Amino acid sequence: MSDVFSLLPWIGAVWLFGIGLYGIVSSRHFVHLTGCLAAIQSSSYLVLLGIGYRYGAVAPIFYDKRPGTQAVDPVVQALVLTDVVIGATVSALLLALVLQLHKRNGIVDPQAMRPMGKSAVPTAGGGRQPNGHTA
Amino acid sequence: MNAAFADPAAWPICIVAGLLMLAGLLLAGAKIVPPVLSDILALAATAAAGVLAAVLAIRIGDHPALYWMGGWTPRQGQAIGIAFLADRAGAGAAAFAGLMFTGAIWFARGYFAGARNHFHVLMLLFLASQCGFFFAHDLFDMFVWFEMMSVAGFALTGYALRSSSLDGALNFTIINTIGAYLILMGIALAYAHANALDFSAVRAVAQGRPDDPVLIAAFVLITTGFLTKAAQVPFHFWLPDAHAVAPSPVSAIFSGIMVSIGLFGVARMAWDVFAPCPAVRHLAHVGLISIGCGSAIAGAVMALMQRHVKRLLAFSTISHVGIALIGVGLLGQQGLGGSLLYLAGHGLIKAMLFMIAGIMLSTLGGIDEIGLRGAGRRIWPAGIVMGACALVLAGIPVGPLDAGARMMDAQARSNGLHWLALVIGFAGALTGGAVLRVTGRVFFNLGPMTGEEDAAPTDDEREHANRPFAAQLVPVLTLLGVWVLLASMFARSSERFALAAAHDMALGADFSSRRALPHMTPILPWLPALVAVAIASVDLNRHRIPDVVYDRLMGLTRPGLHMLQVIHDSVIGEYVLWMMAGLLLLAGIAIF
Repeated sequence: MSDVFSLLPWIGAVWLFGIGLYGIVSSRHFVHLTGCLAAIQSSSYLVLLGIGYRYGAVAPIFYDKRPGTQAVDPVVQALVLTDVVIGATVSALLLALVLQLHKRNGIVDPQAMRPMGKSAVPTAGGGRQPNGHTA
Repeated sequence: MNAAFADPAAWPICIVAGLLMLAGLLLAGAKIVPPVLSDILALAATAAAGVLAAVLAIRIGDHPALYWMGGWTPRQGQAIGIAFLADRAGAGAAAFAGLMFTGAIWFARGYFAGARNHFHVLMLLFLASQCGFFFAHDLFDMFVWFEMMSVAGFALTGYALRSSSLDGALNFTIINTIGAYLILMGIALAYAHANALDFSAVRAVAQGRPDDPVLIAAFVLITTGFLTKAAQVPFHFWLPDAHAVAPSPVSAIFSGIMVSIGLFGVARMAWDVFAPCPAVRHLAHVGLISIGCGSAIAGAVMALMQRHVKRLLAFSTISHVGIALIGVGLLGQQGLGGSLLYLAGHGLIKAMLFMIAGIMLSTLGGIDEIGLRGAGRRIWPAGIVMGACALVLAGIPVGPLDAGARMMDAQARSNGLHWLALVIGFAGALTGGAVLRVTGRVFFNLGPMTGEEDAAPTDDEREHANRPFAAQLVPVLTLLGVWVLLASMFARSSERFALAAAHDMALGADFSSRRALPHMTPILPWLPALVAVAIASVDLNRHRIPDVVYDRLMGLTRPGLHMLQVIHDSVIGEYVLWMMAGLLLLAGIAIF
């Protein structure tokens, strides 16, 4: 039984990474894409927390516990905390950039973006929209 | 304070903390500190950081030292604390970063007028986190500095807030953030089996069970993340978009030092942490050499096909960093030393070239090679410097770039890889030829007829025109002066230093035989430069080539070139898929 449960965080991590990746590849809106990036990031939290988890152990706060009580690994929790801060920074920056992009040309569709803000190579594949131009 | 100065091991933390504190102070006083003072303070700080790191590199010599923060030294074999490592590889890289930033901030004087001093704050954060990365001796610490540096880079890319720069910044942020999460997962896997994050502790565990698949998976994930920052094929798609649209002083930093950091990270991981695993050494050898060759060739071909000068330079960066990656993959100290020296030489030249691109933007009002034809005649001194830089890129046998290439070549030939000189020559000839073509067209009014570069993406960007030409040329000439010093007076000592840094990074180990071969390329040393001149002359004289010959040539090359253009002219989703394909490739090499 515990074998199944110890696999669970890994399955969850792979699932989150997969849907996050699918979301990024197929995204039609940069805010949605930022959310997908957060899903990928959550999968890294799951990996970290799954690694540090111990069955039957307490939270690593020894205020009212005897020293030597089995506790879950506090190091990975510190890593997750730091990672949350980094993720928040990146998300905030991304959203700020998207807001500016929306102000500039009103298009926030990643599929409509081309290098240098315009497409120069005529492409055979359909479905590519005319891009956002610089004013 | 005196005690801190007596112990060189404490210098790295002083450098990093000092830069961070100054950045905080400048940000707090953004409204009251006059721009001139910001310039002076930022310049003094970056120069001081570089000089301190250089002195540290010399003082620390053969005795790399660890500094455990807060006195948390390992107890009973358990390392819970976080350490900074002062060795010649890290200190040398930090000194070079200091030089690059000093040059870039100097060049940027007046560029960001009216934008308060946020540029200086971001640049100081950028440098501080790079130094932290170079000195880190702990997997997670390294990751945090890496991410801090990335965020500063993302913000600097989008600084101009134009449509194309926002697009480039978004692309850069998304691809690199996915790479960063892969690094984090790799670190988590390494921690799962090593129960430690300190380099030496993880290495000790790897020594104990060299065939542990979890450790190998950790290396694959971490390498993917670092190769994304190093912009190696197929993780490179963000780089041309980001480099082309970032403000030119920032592009100089990106190509000069930031991209090299990914390579530094891969080398540290391969040599310092995971070296005891035979599968990792196999992966580093086969995987890094093939990815490096792919990048060297693809980057060079793409560079020749560009018309946006900064985009052209960005592709040439991919190509040259690919060559340095081969040096890491050779798994020998001489190759690693050559790689480090090559990166330094490339960084100097590329920073100068991006500054000249910046001069074109501000004095000629454009960056499009075809649109600017002949416009550069009144600023001909910049053209002469650019032509000289192009020849160095092409590989004329002078200076640190060539010395590094020769060291890598000697290592490769003692491993039996005699074709490395050909790859180096190919990349040099094409990238050098591309830059020479730009020089000829913009500064000497040559090349009325355009070729495949006509179809490349371009932009009608301009930068602040309020800066006099001469003032902008001075930092370029200063970097040129540094290059001349490294090529003449300090040629031998820089080679020796690169070897010593590689020795420190490899912890004295050497995984490939080294015979004392003379540093000499089997082909004529001047050949790549001659080919570069030939390529540029052909490109600039298309109108003189008979139609029959020209059409045959174009017909042969067009389908392949067109496919490359289309691949590089795509959306973020496809870039992410390429990245995952690269990850699978690395994993496949590790398994088989």
